[in-house]
Amino acid sequence: MTDPHFAAYSFVDRIVEFEPGRRARGSFAIPRDVARFPAALAAEAVGQLAAWCAMDAIDFRGRPVAGLATETRFFGDARPGDTLELVADLHACDDEAVAYDGHASVGDKRIVELVDCLGPMLPVAEFDDPGALRARLALLRDGGAAPGRFAGVDDIAIDVVERVAGRELRARVDVPERAPFFGDHFPRRPVFPATLLLDTQIRLALDLAREAASGTGSPKAARVTHVKMRSFIVPSQRLDIDVKLGPAEAGLAKATMSAKTDERTVATARLEIAMEESTRA
Amino acid sequence: MAEIPVTQEEIMAVYPKVAETMADALGCDVEDIQPDVSLIEGLDAESIDFLDMVFRLERAFKVKIPRGKIVENARGDLPESEFEQNGIVTPQGLAQLKEYLSEVPAERFKTPMKVADIPRLFTPTTFCKLVVRAQKEAA
Repeated sequence: MTDPHFAAYSFVDRIVEFEPGRRARGSFAIPRDVARFPAALAAEAVGQLAAWCAMDAIDFRGRPVAGLATETRFFGDARPGDTLELVADLHACDDEAVAYDGHASVGDKRIVELVDCLGPMLPVAEFDDPGALRARLALLRDGGAAPGRFAGVDDIAIDVVERVAGRELRARVDVPERAPFFGDHFPRRPVFPATLLLDTQIRLALDLAREAASGTGSPKAARVTHVKMRSFIVPSQRLDIDVKLGPAEAGLAKATMSAKTDERTVATARLEIAMEESTRA
Repeated sequence: MAEIPVTQEEIMAVYPKVAETMADALGCDVEDIQPDVSLIEGLDAESIDFLDMVFRLERAFKVKIPRGKIVENARGDLPESEFEQNGIVTPQGLAQLKEYLSEVPAERFKTPMKVADIPRLFTPTTFCKLVVRAQKEAA
């Protein structure tokens, strides 16, 4: 099996501009053979670029983990074969946290924008080999890593246990015990990526929105706000996901999303869905 | 470092915006934010919420709040070894803490008090004081 480190859940393969603690620009070539590359993974790519910029600024003492994302705007998915152009602008960075904005584009087309994100810093050695991280950053900055190592991520299995069509649902997700992405996120301490949770929640919310639209529309995720990760989600953990969809107003419906484990809330977010109508003849 | 004094009037001047910011961070109604409610015991705030609140307050008031240093600031001029021993706040430290967190009702200070439990004392007023001090330091 291919070594998952810097492959199974790594979305920066070249850095072309780098000011530690301030700004970075880079790219990620999405392999042609992956099934899909949802916008949540493009957001992850921006976060990872910010993480490189932050870790280097504090000499790899800490690494940021998912914490808060005030606002993430979605403009569309990138496609397999596209190259994501990534930008991260840090407005604060120290041993406790990194605060940043950023965006990902494909050519002239914006894919995702992140506004006021905050990642708490935790001791890097708990998660990964600091030496390997330093070497990887050097490679990314010196011509880049060989693209094409990302093999895609399987959709997380969802069991919907309660549903009020078009309004709310409760679903159960059993985080896998093993998955390639755990070998990269993170090698010394596997953590279920917040962006995979977000992608799962968005898919559920869009299902509700399609039901609410009674098949007359093609709802799309427009913006997610108030993303807050309260604790790590680990392998084999069972998640209870709640999604509640409000009525659409002026073509926009709002959903609240949460994930709990053992009745404890581990993640919350709000989603705005553009209830686009299907093309009419 | 001498503590910058903060008056009740200064606290009340910033309180409405602090309460609004905290309500947004905690996802509760602004009416739930009372000046002396314990953020952890009363509003279920967690460490990520404290980080969130500090960043939101920095943006709202355009100040720099020393993150993660509330406990350090509470210690004032007292050396760490005199403030706490083996994770427990010393009697001298407790007296210093009560002075720094003068807004917190006396009965909430437990004896013995673990250093790790100090954030349980924090209230919205504690954060108002942080904002006012940051404003004064920036002036």
